Amino acid sequence: MRLLTDLVDRTRLDAVQIDGADRALTDGSSSLSWHEYADRVARIAAVLVDHGVRPGDRVAVRLAKSCDSFASVHAVLRAGAVMVPLDPLAPVTPAAAVIADADCAVLITDRRTAALVAEFPGVRCVVVPGGRELPPDQRVEGVDFVGEAEIEATAPADRVIVDADDPAYIIYTSGSTGTPKGIVHSHASALAYARAAVEEYGLDSDDRLANIAPLHFDQSTFELYAAPLAGAMVLVIPDPVLRFPASVSELVARERITVWYSVPYLLEQISDRGALDDRDLSSLRWVLYGGEAFPPSALARLMERLPAATFSNVYGPAEVNQCTAHHVRTTPVGPVPIGRAWRAAKIRLVDPDDRSIEIDGAGRVGVIAVSTPTMMTGYWKSPNLTAAATFLDPDGSRWYVTGDLAREGDDGALEFLGRVDHQVKVRGHRIELEAIDALLREVDGVTAATVVVDRPEDDDDRLVALVVDDGTRPAVTEHIVELLRARLPRYAVPADIRVVDSLPRTATGKVDRPAARALVEHTD
Amino acid sequence: MSSPGQPTTQVDDAFAERLVALIRDDVAATDELVEPATDLLLTGLVDSLGVVVIVDWIEQELGIEIDPGDVVLEHFQTVDLMLTYLRGR
Repeated sequence: MRLLTDLVDRTRLDAVQIDGADRALTDGSSSLSWHEYADRVARIAAVLVDHGVRPGDRVAVRLAKSCDSFASVHAVLRAGAVMVPLDPLAPVTPAAAVIADADCAVLITDRRTAALVAEFPGVRCVVVPGGRELPPDQRVEGVDFVGEAEIEATAPADRVIVDADDPAYIIYTSGSTGTPKGIVHSHASALAYARAAVEEYGLDSDDRLANIAPLHFDQSTFELYAAPLAGAMVLVIPDPVLRFPASVSELVARERITVWYSVPYLLEQISDRGALDDRDLSSLRWVLYGGEAFPPSALARLMERLPAATFSNVYGPAEVNQCTAHHVRTTPVGPVPIGRAWRAAKIRLVDPDDRSIEIDGAGRVGVIAVSTPTMMTGYWKSPNLTAAATFLDPDGSRWYVTGDLAREGDDGALEFLGRVDHQVKVRGHRIELEAIDALLREVDGVTAATVVVDRPEDDDDRLVALVVDDGTRPAVTEHIVELLRARLPRYAVPADIRVVDSLPRTATGKVDRPAARALVEHTD
Repeated sequence: MSSPGQPTTQVDDAFAERLVALIRDDVAATDELVEPATDLLLTGLVDSLGVVVIVDWIEQELGIEIDPGDVVLEHFQTVDLMLTYLRGR
């Protein structure tokens, strides 16, 4: 199998003897069997091809978690096109920026977003799985609207064959200038990841995975691609349910989920408020977590509650999907290592100022560099950024330089030590603080601004903005909130905007971030 | 704020109005209209932190403790569902 296109395909499923009648996908209320899943994928793919999608074209997918969100992803791949997932909860402006950057002519989305398609110039066709026809006054001239009726009336399409090295999907992530950058992964990269995941976690057709990550977060590649490779069922947990840890635990117990993968934040919520005393979660044999650190005491508490499960700390920037894993075998007392190079990945620690210098010797700090079959092809239409982030080893292998600092522990496992830049993780989301700073400075009246992360001991992490204004604009805080809400996904909007007389600065005049953070901690 | 042994606030119309006001003014992530039958979760009007704020406020107002196992979608999806749950306790 060379292509992702082969995964949810009737012929292949029958060939590997996956029972077509078995459940492949469920969202807790509706389900699809493998044959129904393959059929759905092939019909949506046919609709895309009918409406002009050609191999290599980018198709945006902006859908909340559901059986149809998974089917839509595979449909885009089946049509030989490149899948561009969008955050379904983000405001229109950042969505439009991604659609424009990736040059998507077709958008698969919900009915609500379909009515806003005029905000996405360049989109000439919008497909709404499960959608009723849009009334004439909501349609936009020149944009085809495809609803459920047309999908059901269209005969399933054959797979479109592309090269394994051709792009399969583009994951957009925050860039430090504020412009998001697209990380391109090929079919080969995604399949290498899916194979490695199936081997590492021993996935098979008896497994039942829970999908928590939204499509635009690369953790979802585990459920999107590793699950069908193994013939494992996926429970797609809808967003409304995710807001209630006690509902999540109930659904996970009811569906006898065997493998969980999410950011630590959600696991902590389930540990604290998931009513675990009243749930039988003994079906869980693996709990994968990644995206940020899991506070050791919280992790220890949850491990005690789920004795049948092995916890696995997964690390890897979206540029390489996953590159280390550390299975937690003893009760954590301090930060858990990110582990050793995963599967076919190779890892080096390099000097932050000269990547050709490899850091040798246990205990010395360096920047993590990775060479792996699961590496990105590059940043979309950004050869300079790609060149800046990667290098070619004399032996011919390609390496990606993460911005992450690490040190090798005595046992050879890597310990994560932080970033070389100002990228942070808040509740699992990757955020470039400098990008938010830049946006704040666009507000009339703001002369200086900086955003810091407040990580209080007994409360959730949050962003706090410190702003200096020139007093010319009344209600500057309201204007700031309005601008940020329109331009950023919700998790990136600071919870607190504080107007201050001046920002703390270093001797060279740059904003002193540690001092700014201390300011926020001490005034709380 | 009530204390044990004291008469607690009733789950009446006035309480319902205060609950709607709390959600609209302190919890809602967007400016959409909040009414007793409004689905708070489907559109992202209320996120998981918002749920915590609502539960804490209800517990304080009524002087009760809500079992974490009862903090589920079925009881908190709309204000009407919250009231039904609270009256049935």
